[in-house]
Amino acid sequence: MPSRAANTAIPAVQTTGLGKRFGRQWALAHCDLEVQPGEVLLLAGANGSGKTTLLRLIAGLYKPTQGSMSIYGMDPEQEKLACRRTLTLVGHDNYLYSQLSALEMLQVWTRLRGVELSEEQAIDLLREVDLQDRRDYPVGGFSAGMRKRLTLLRTRLEEPKLVLLDEPFSALDASGQNLIEEWIEGYRSAGKTVVLASHNLPRSSKLCDRAILLQQGQMLWQGTGADLLNHVGATA
Amino acid sequence: MSLFRQALTVVRKDLLLEWRGKGRLISVLLFGVVTLLLFSFAVGPDSTLMRAAAGGFLVLALLLSSTLGLSESFRVEQEQRAIEGLLLLPVDPIALYYGKTLSNTLFLMLLAPVLTPVALILYSVQLDLQGLAVLLGLWTLAAAGLSAPGTLYAAMTSRLQSQDVLLPLLLFPLVIPVLMGAVKSITLILTGDPMSQVSAWATLLASFAIIYSSLCGLLFPHAIEEGI
Amino acid sequence: MTRQFKWDSGLGLLGLLLLFVGSYIGLFVAPAERYMGETQRIMYVHVPCAWNAMLLYTLAFIFAIVSLWTHRPKWDAVTTAAVEVGIVLNALLLVQGSIWARATWGVWWDWDVRLTTSLIMVLLFAGVLALRSFVHDAGRRATWTAIATIVAFVDVPLVYFCVRWWRSLHQVQSTPDTVAPMMVVPLRINAFAILFLAIWMMAQRVRVELARRAQDQVAEPERIAPIGGSTNA
Repeated sequence: MPSRAANTAIPAVQTTGLGKRFGRQWALAHCDLEVQPGEVLLLAGANGSGKTTLLRLIAGLYKPTQGSMSIYGMDPEQEKLACRRTLTLVGHDNYLYSQLSALEMLQVWTRLRGVELSEEQAIDLLREVDLQDRRDYPVGGFSAGMRKRLTLLRTRLEEPKLVLLDEPFSALDASGQNLIEEWIEGYRSAGKTVVLASHNLPRSSKLCDRAILLQQGQMLWQGTGADLLNHVGATA
Repeated sequence: MSLFRQALTVVRKDLLLEWRGKGRLISVLLFGVVTLLLFSFAVGPDSTLMRAAAGGFLVLALLLSSTLGLSESFRVEQEQRAIEGLLLLPVDPIALYYGKTLSNTLFLMLLAPVLTPVALILYSVQLDLQGLAVLLGLWTLAAAGLSAPGTLYAAMTSRLQSQDVLLPLLLFPLVIPVLMGAVKSITLILTGDPMSQVSAWATLLASFAIIYSSLCGLLFPHAIEEGI
Repeated sequence: MTRQFKWDSGLGLLGLLLLFVGSYIGLFVAPAERYMGETQRIMYVHVPCAWNAMLLYTLAFIFAIVSLWTHRPKWDAVTTAAVEVGIVLNALLLVQGSIWARATWGVWWDWDVRLTTSLIMVLLFAGVLALRSFVHDAGRRATWTAIATIVAFVDVPLVYFCVRWWRSLHQVQSTPDTVAPMMVVPLRINAFAILFLAIWMMAQRVRVELARRAQDQVAEPERIAPIGGSTNA
């Protein structure tokens, strides 16, 4: 739960009247959201309820049709690169080049962040997701779960303050899911902000400080993770 | 400086991908050789005609191969949306553009060592070492001129339907100055250049490359505002 | 539904009238040219078409820059309108040029600098429209149309000089001072006639485009009142 002190600080994410229209369809509307630094926020909702759109808007991959937004007090339009330095998103895609090895993928990502990753550091990172033996194999031969683990390592590089995760548990086995849970707990205690969208409510509702239920692009309900389970159980 | 380093990282990554996927480079090379062969059937076994048209055929082979190379360079980016992974990093889009343009230019330059000898043999043209060096220089300028707008358009069309039609449709009329400049100058090299006009055409090729790499560098960030 | 008389309809009618007058003078009043004879009279529509096509492409280029800068739908609409009407005039130009070539040189096509350049121009700007038709999102369509228009326009002078070098055989441009006054009058009248008609066509196109955009402008859905839950802000 965000403390009172954190409430007075600059919010990690603040949106006012945010809306995004694709063609004639509003994917997100009237979104007033405030995420405090250090908070773990869960976005829940059916397919097409606007979770991914909201995450992509925050990440700066979409331009809002309506409303405004700030990331740690920064305007994403004006300070695009500074925002990108602050946040990271792992979406549905794996962002991989099939012909590069796991090690090379990590090196490309860190170099573009302006950091040189030593081989030991890279191997340590890969060990976290149990890919150290596969470091020199092209990722094209990886299973879906292994690719997902590798891509999720992006949240461990350069330590962004705001971590956006779209369905982080999908494609992962139980140990992988536990690992991501551990990471998210770690981010919370390190004072980082996490916004995750997930269908895995039993797992993610335990994890989050606050949950928001989206329906047809609008925020329908918000409360604690435990309440979310009750609410969804009651309405289902 | 960091812009330069980011661009170089993109080039390095692309070259590594190219090296790993040698099959792609070889396919494009073979495609170029096949077109050279086909062109020779267009003018029949008349060796004088073939010799006169050799420069044009060589440049056309480069042009036709270039769209394959350009769309391929963005297909690997789109396969698992790797390009989105790059755009999410604090990477200046301008660095991304120049990185991709440079690696596309290098890719097209790699066609020269294969296509030139094949053309010289097929069309029975003699060329001394100095002529060969000038030809390679002109080839480089042409490759840069094709890549500068080609990278922008390949990025834009890479997620559209009918990309394979759209890219040549946009690119071919646009690069007619490159085509003319390269055909004229390379033909002059192959057939002898008594008026020394080559430098004028080389200037044209260089100007095209400079104008379009600056212009497209300015436009690229707008093109990918909402990702590609 | 009442049909209002719009400003551009007046301009269109004026253009039509002027085209009539200008062409009448050109065909029946102006003297025949000394060397080219009656054939030269095609110039009274050919040259005005060329001037206006270039004018429209230049306008499209300027509108495209503004469109890229402001992201306003109306600038995208005028950019597209200018490109499309420019292509129409450009196509007319090609047909007239071809007829001219047939009458003068006995062939339907000649690699004359201006004729060749206008052929390449049609293809350049047709590419812009092709790209446009493949983009579904209105915002991106506007941005990409603007980008492609700018890229295509910058190519025009390069193509022109290139073709000139490529084939250093071309007609020397005639300036109004060297021709008879009765030749200048219909040329000028028709230039304005075609300009007015072009503006009229553009106005129609802009209206269609803006109507299409307006159709997409679905209002944001009603705000759903949040229900239940523990508020925790």
